[in-house]
Amino acid sequence: MPQTYDAIVVGSGIAGGWAAKELCERGLRTLVLEAGRPIEPGQDYVEHVPPWNMKFRGYGDRVAAERDQPVQRRCYACDEWASKFFVNDREHPYSTPDDTPFLWIRGRQVGGRSIMWARQVYRWSDLDFEANARDGHGVDWPLRYADLAPWYDHVEEFIGISGEALGLPQLPDGRFLPPMPLNCAEEVVRDAMAATFGGERVLTIGRCAVLTRAHRGRAACHYCGPCERGCITHSYFNSIGSTLPAARATGRLTLRPHSVVHSVLYDARRDRATGVRVIDGQTREDLEFHARLVFLCASALESTRILLNSRPSRFPTGLGNSSGELGRNLMDHVMGGGAQGTIAGMEDRVVVGRRPNGIYVPRFRNVRTAHPGFLRGYGFQGGGSRPGWGRGASMAGFGADLKQALRTPGPWQFRYYGFGECLPRPTNYVELDPERVDAWGIPVLRIHCAWSDNERALLRDMADTATEMLEAAGATGIEPFIQDNPPGLGIHEMGTARMGRDPATSVLNAHNQCWDAPNVFVTDGACMTSSACQNPSITYMALTARAAAYAVEQLQRGEL
Amino acid sequence: MHRRDALQTLAALAGVPALAGRTVADVLAAAGPHRQAGRLAALNATQNATVVALAERIIPATDTPGATAAGVNQFIDLLLAEWFSADERRAFLDGIADVDARARAAFGKSFAAGTHAQQDGVVAVLDGEVTALREASRATAGHFFARFKALTLYGYYNSEVGMTQELRYQIIPGRYESCAPLGAR
Repeated sequence: MPQTYDAIVVGSGIAGGWAAKELCERGLRTLVLEAGRPIEPGQDYVEHVPPWNMKFRGYGDRVAAERDQPVQRRCYACDEWASKFFVNDREHPYSTPDDTPFLWIRGRQVGGRSIMWARQVYRWSDLDFEANARDGHGVDWPLRYADLAPWYDHVEEFIGISGEALGLPQLPDGRFLPPMPLNCAEEVVRDAMAATFGGERVLTIGRCAVLTRAHRGRAACHYCGPCERGCITHSYFNSIGSTLPAARATGRLTLRPHSVVHSVLYDARRDRATGVRVIDGQTREDLEFHARLVFLCASALESTRILLNSRPSRFPTGLGNSSGELGRNLMDHVMGGGAQGTIAGMEDRVVVGRRPNGIYVPRFRNVRTAHPGFLRGYGFQGGGSRPGWGRGASMAGFGADLKQALRTPGPWQFRYYGFGECLPRPTNYVELDPERVDAWGIPVLRIHCAWSDNERALLRDMADTATEMLEAAGATGIEPFIQDNPPGLGIHEMGTARMGRDPATSVLNAHNQCWDAPNVFVTDGACMTSSACQNPSITYMALTARAAAYAVEQLQRGEL
Repeated sequence: MHRRDALQTLAALAGVPALAGRTVADVLAAAGPHRQAGRLAALNATQNATVVALAERIIPATDTPGATAAGVNQFIDLLLAEWFSADERRAFLDGIADVDARARAAFGKSFAAGTHAQQDGVVAVLDGEVTALREASRATAGHFFARFKALTLYGYYNSEVGMTQELRYQIIPGRYESCAPLGAR
């Protein structure tokens, strides 16, 4: 295969797929380097394989999971079906201090984690983009909502988002396909919320990248349920079914799996990156590929790791690290404060089909009025459901009576589960571990990350407000909870190569362009200057498309 | 609903471009390994007879098949062989032996050799012990019967007969109804 291209994209997941599509469609011959294996949907997707065709009937292979995936198995989606989409932890080590665990959930294959993502998509607003400037944590974002809004439109029109428009300033509406319906219990809770909280707190159906009608050659959802195992009809968005085919259709895409990028190559005379160094994942061969443009879309921590491993003499602590900020300001959403309870009535009603989506309560703290106990805020996901046979193990009885009782589902349950904003802090950071390498001989990360009092205060408030909202809905048996999830498990890791206005305090400029090497762009979660509380993937996609358009324009002007 | 039917349902849904050019057989080939019913790896014949009989008393055949038809004993055998730790395995096998000891004390035979009524008498005591622990807000996980019952339910409701005949589970519903009448499928 040729070794020289117009552009190299590292990673083929949510961000890499978008970079590939936009760069190819704008005329660049683009090489996408993916560290993992190819995915063939017809062979690899397993969403319709019933439990009885799985060795452990879906109970999971405990021995294999404890041996190979002690970290990955902490993710709900890493089950007996989908565990093959998560890395083997023995091949992909990293380290942390003993007293501050960080769970790094990774997917290395064509499509990356876009195969198993939870598909929730929420625009950010100026409440988020102005947050750092307002309260002084982190540096100011170098852009505002108006800069990104047309790119949110662009992304949403392509990938297909179902959801309900609300007209809320803190959660801008998008280009929505028809929303999925709320179920009976969720309607009761929504109506009680509207009556009690006067519009300050709102419950809506989740905005999700799952099609409610056919869209751009992809079929509407058939409600089988487990999207994280793949989707043969491409009814939810992932890069395999959408962006990579669009890139391929241009005739300009070359996709090379099993290509583990070690570092970015840099030419000090030209002040530019010249390509990347690759270790072939199968042969361990050391390779180089060259291009005029390099997009790092390998996931927040992998992109930063590549930059830290890129050490030309001018940048001895890593390309992009002139400011000393490379690796710093790691964030993840703090999750797991909430409450659950029983909603009486509607015992003659059930749902049919498995809706791959829940409810959403947009942020209401520190929106209109300042909360005395903490900065920023959180949103709730969750929803209503009736338990099935699974409750049988905690019921008394056995025999025909038990079997008969389990034919009718239990009472409606409702659960609120919060996701909160994490403040950017330089003390949460990654560095190269001086002693350890991965299965390809590449130095691994040592991750230092811990929650602060602000995140802990958010968790406590989640439990309080979820309880209030369930009380307002007349729920009984309300059980508040505050989980103790280590950072990382939100799988919204962000930061470590932040965007900013000043090369002295940031790694990237307003166009995701590396201050140290103007033909290097980082457009995945690494670029994030703050974390907001919304699921971040659509913002990565919008930033990627925007950066690609800018990069091609600069290339055509001879600026790169 | 069987997997093949499910796939035909999927193919019949309007506008499924991704399936164009692919046969149902192609999609079936993506299925995981099909378990062959067969030899046991951890349970001896006596233990297996107790497991079969006990699971069937928890989920008996009624108008739909029960735990035996669902191969719950094979599921439990697999977990004993490849899932449990050595300590857990030993405790579980001790629990099986204890069921037989209770049976002999109650009606003078092994559990499997008893009548349904005799077996149900033993099961009622076991289930009552677990319920008493739960009502006292004490952990039930250490009680053999709590674990056995949970595994029986899991193995049954994730088996082909449990899902297709008892639950009438649709692999591909093809629609979402948010507030349907009880009994709708």
